[in-house]
Amino acid sequence: MSDKSDRRDFLVKLGLGAGVVGVGLQGVASLRSLVPNVSYDPPTTVKLGPPGDFPDGLKFLPDERLFVFREGKTFYAISAVCTHLGCTVRAEALPQPETAEVNGRPVRLTHRYLCPCHGSRYRGDGQNVSGPAPRPLAWYRLTVAPDDGQLVVDLADEVDRDFRLTVA
Amino acid sequence: MALLKRKAGPAAPGVHPQPLWSFRPRSDRESGDAIVANFVLHWFPAKVARASLAWGYSFWLGTASAALLLLLVLSGLPLLFLYVPSVERAYASVKDIEYVVTFGAWIRSVHRISAHLMVAVVFLHLVRVFLTGAYKNAAGGGQRRERNWVIGVAMLLLTLFLSFTGYLLPWDQLASWAVTVGTNIASSIPLVGPQLRELMIGGREIEQATLIRFYVLHVIVLPGGLGALFAYHMWRIRKDGGLAVSDHDGQAAHPHPEPVVPTKTYSLLGVARGQSPVIRASALEAPDTTVNAVPDLTRRAAIVTLGTIAIVSILAVIIRSPLEEPANALLTPNPAKAPWYFLWLQEIVTDTTFRIGSFTLNGAFIGGVLLPGLLLALLTAWPWLDRSPARAAGRWFPASRRRQTGVFLLIVLGILILTFVGMFMRGPYWQLFWPWEAWPEIPSRI
Repeated sequence: MSDKSDRRDFLVKLGLGAGVVGVGLQGVASLRSLVPNVSYDPPTTVKLGPPGDFPDGLKFLPDERLFVFREGKTFYAISAVCTHLGCTVRAEALPQPETAEVNGRPVRLTHRYLCPCHGSRYRGDGQNVSGPAPRPLAWYRLTVAPDDGQLVVDLADEVDRDFRLTVA
Repeated sequence: MALLKRKAGPAAPGVHPQPLWSFRPRSDRESGDAIVANFVLHWFPAKVARASLAWGYSFWLGTASAALLLLLVLSGLPLLFLYVPSVERAYASVKDIEYVVTFGAWIRSVHRISAHLMVAVVFLHLVRVFLTGAYKNAAGGGQRRERNWVIGVAMLLLTLFLSFTGYLLPWDQLASWAVTVGTNIASSIPLVGPQLRELMIGGREIEQATLIRFYVLHVIVLPGGLGALFAYHMWRIRKDGGLAVSDHDGQAAHPHPEPVVPTKTYSLLGVARGQSPVIRASALEAPDTTVNAVPDLTRRAAIVTLGTIAIVSILAVIIRSPLEEPANALLTPNPAKAPWYFLWLQEIVTDTTFRIGSFTLNGAFIGGVLLPGLLLALLTAWPWLDRSPARAAGRWFPASRRRQTGVFLLIVLGILILTFVGMFMRGPYWQLFWPWEAWPEIPSRI
């Protein structure tokens, strides 16, 4: 008797186990299929236009969510993406420009940034001042395109706040 | 009055011979038969405790939630034919529904108002069940009401997630920034966050892959899950012997319960046709405290359902559904507010960034994941933490549960206050204003 029921038990367990494994693997395959293998995201390196087109002071580039600053021949770029939850901050001109020393270099602060989603505030150089923002706004590397001399930003390449691009 | 009557011959065993259905049964037997013969009604018992039908005990909030779910499915069907889940055409198709399609604006309003009401009514249902301790097992003997509480909490979550995925679909400004903030909250979870966000939005940028994911969740995955849980929720109420308030009737009726004989058939069919010799159902043994489900239960369920449909239909005529500007990844509205039921969360993520020395804890994680998660875990586990006596079940504000009732109401009050602050006291740049204070003029562009 025990022989027969052992075999029956074994077959029941085998059947159930195979079913669980089969459905489980289908579940894993379904989930994995939702993880993208190819990114159709726009490239992180973007041409912004000839340096001469940028006015002195601040220019907001909505497509890149980027503030580009120009002081004569030097350029730098600060992200407009709030470090808290990713809303686009807005720049507000200060009544009186100030100068602050950041990483040993003087920065002329003409604006401050305010986030409309949760009220984070940043100083002109991107330093978070109040609100829930955990970090300063990112600074991105600017270069000059070798082919046509346009200003190029790399949105994947964060730089320190003493970064300056000088265009001859 | 029998709606349908055919010539009845002797029925074969296990076959219900006629589709007999009665609004106004003339006997107990005809009343039981009305349940057995009806596909929709068969999840009701033949008899229910009189106490569980009282308006002032349950306020019929669960039935109202189910009616709202029904309305959402019905009004969602035509929208499903008219809406196009593509980032180029979604906004235009919703605009067409709103301004071009005949009755489109009304159907969309029915859908939207039902959704808003469902969030409110499901939440109130949870509050009612907590305050009456209805997750407790007063009758004992294999009752598992705490399971239905956990299912209910899951259904509240599904309701919220359905609302979230729903208001994304128009792909307007509200949608765009809600996805941005919502998925960035997920992204703030340590270790797995960024991958989780990528899985949610199908890439690194909020694009077509994001819309189709939330669309499929909204129209298939989440409603399917909610429907399955709803069926299980109803079934469990039956298996636990009806609403918790009726447990007290049952206890009185069973001083010495007889052992159940496994060879007998204890079917509802048997009850209706008087075939089963031994019936151990408290309802049948307590004729003073019970009534026939048809018509006493069905009449009230019909009143609640029809009333809900009437209220929503009329509100949908009066209240138009808003449509914000098309999604603009470049410009965040100022202030950017979530719908009212998420405003308390928006308040929490605003206020929970902590700095300890140079170390910063992001409010996105503390307020968006950790605190709501803890609250949810506490809510789910409460039936096992509640040490009050079982006889406190099914009673409003029992003395033995005074302290936990107070704490629960304080948390509810806190959520309501945060919602009020978010709704009426937050202006441009999320600054605090008094509700009567005018907002300063902010240029719409920098």
